[in-house]
Amino acid sequence: MRNNIPTAALSEFVNEVAENPEEGMMSYGIEIDWESGTRSCTQTKPMLVGPHKVSRSFSWKVDEPRQLMGNNHGPNPQELLLSGLGSCMMVAFIAGATAEGIQLESVKIDFDGELDLRGFMGLNTNSTVGFPKINYKIHAAGDATPEQFEELHRKAVAHSPNAQSFINPVELNGEMISVQVSD
Amino acid sequence: MSISNIRGDAHSAGPSLTTGKWLNKLERKRQTGPLFGTAHAHELGMSTRAVHAGTNDDPRTGAVGTPIYQTSTFVLNDDQYDSVEGGYARDRFIYTRYGNPSQWAVQEKLAALEGAESAIVFSSGMAAITATVLAMVDKGAHVVAASDLYGGTYNLFNQEFPTLGMSATLVDSYDLEAIEAAIQPNTQLLYFEVITNPVLKVVDIPRLADMAERHNIRLVVDSTFAPPPVMRPLEHGVDLVIHSASKYLNGHSDLIAGVTAGPRKLIDQIWPRLLNYGGSLDPHACFLLERGLKTLPIRMRAHEASATALAEFLESHPNVERVLYPMLPSHPDHALAKKLMDMGTGNVTFFVKGGDEAALRLLDHLKLPKQATSLGGVESLISLPFNSSQATMTSRQRAEIGIDPGCVRLSVGIEDADDLIADFGQALEHIAPMKEAKYA
Repeated sequence: MRNNIPTAALSEFVNEVAENPEEGMMSYGIEIDWESGTRSCTQTKPMLVGPHKVSRSFSWKVDEPRQLMGNNHGPNPQELLLSGLGSCMMVAFIAGATAEGIQLESVKIDFDGELDLRGFMGLNTNSTVGFPKINYKIHAAGDATPEQFEELHRKAVAHSPNAQSFINPVELNGEMISVQVSD
Repeated sequence: MSISNIRGDAHSAGPSLTTGKWLNKLERKRQTGPLFGTAHAHELGMSTRAVHAGTNDDPRTGAVGTPIYQTSTFVLNDDQYDSVEGGYARDRFIYTRYGNPSQWAVQEKLAALEGAESAIVFSSGMAAITATVLAMVDKGAHVVAASDLYGGTYNLFNQEFPTLGMSATLVDSYDLEAIEAAIQPNTQLLYFEVITNPVLKVVDIPRLADMAERHNIRLVVDSTFAPPPVMRPLEHGVDLVIHSASKYLNGHSDLIAGVTAGPRKLIDQIWPRLLNYGGSLDPHACFLLERGLKTLPIRMRAHEASATALAEFLESHPNVERVLYPMLPSHPDHALAKKLMDMGTGNVTFFVKGGDEAALRLLDHLKLPKQATSLGGVESLISLPFNSSQATMTSRQRAEIGIDPGCVRLSVGIEDADDLIADFGQALEHIAPMKEAKYA
């Protein structure tokens, strides 16, 4: 165990997927139910790791602060977006460090993002609706040189599925299934 | 590190960790074992495997057979420290709760007999069952299992699972449609016994394996009633096979042990649960189990011969209502039994005329079989479900799983069939209902 990752098992899994790509196909899902106002509840669906089902019994509330007409009952979608991005980069960073034999003492990623709500509101400006940019700093302590950490940072971003989903266009396919309810 | 400094599986090396490289450069691949000596002998016959697989003579003295490594801990060198850091401590000797050569010997023999890549022994069948089931499920998981499970396993699903925030649906193991209908989005596991107790239903394992694969879930079976000479469930597509090794595998009713066998990938997932939950098998018990296993195939032939002769005798006896022995044409699952089972076992269940009272009288008059639960020992064991294994059920509940009044659960040992037939013959003469005065 290094960084509490079972290195031998990681290596065995990598080699298993190399020989049998089906074992490396991950399938995820969540369901979001509107509760009230800006508050919704997310529930994870069972996941597939290769052809094997994994129960994922997790749920969390998402809300906006009162200033944005919500009740501040949970993190907001932007915070969760950054959380999903950063914790995926974290997994890549830790796995990559472990594969190199780097022993980590601590790792923290600090994210900041700013967006202009005029885009959301449809007010006529040139501002983007989403984040024009996201800034982060990785604070890491471990037995690697600054150059090794920098290279690890580069590779962690290059191999992080969520970071790559940010950087590259993702096909977003939606479908509207509606019921018209009449009083 | 030279081979001689490796205290464990010399074929297992750490993952190569190279500065500046990514995950794709990790070299360690999964392999069978862990093996103390040479590789498995899967191509050899069942008896040859039973005698030789996993059993290594002492290299220092030439003593034949596996020494009893009665130790709790092992002297550590750099290679063992590396194995802990590299996450392959299962392939080295560190501490007996993690692994011990006496455990490895019996694990390799069991893996060879089951046709498995790997096996782990436990301090009981229930230790094997709990560690295996809990390794295969996650938070919020659901399991579909047989409704007539062994009581200990039933209690795991009925008493422990809700506490852990998990659930199980128990279904008649004959009813494949109901089993499939019970599968929910969060179902991760199908859990069945290949031959049920006490009515000796033969479960359609290949079709359950097919169902598990279609639903992306695992199939784990308890094959205690069908040891490897009888059935090798992994060959039928099962993910993991569990045994109470206290029964046929050890065969002498003198120890408690369990085993799980299957792909190394899954056994390696169970191993951390063995470490977390306890339940490791003592080296001396390993020695007894390894010794017992050497005669497993020959014992099974003796069990089958005596059980077949006795079952046929019982079937012809006027005081016997019905006999359940899968290898007899009268058994409802006879066709499936012929397909899945290479041979019969010692388990015979029968129903005497006169109900449970008559069954009690039968037991009192038998001289050879011991009145005891358990099965698979060299001595015949006999018990009545109504006052032992299924005593907590009502008679209606017992009837629902086929335990009608007069049900006798018999594990035929390796005694001579003629002696058993003579003993049952004399005892059956005594069971006719006695004329007793009725007091109102």
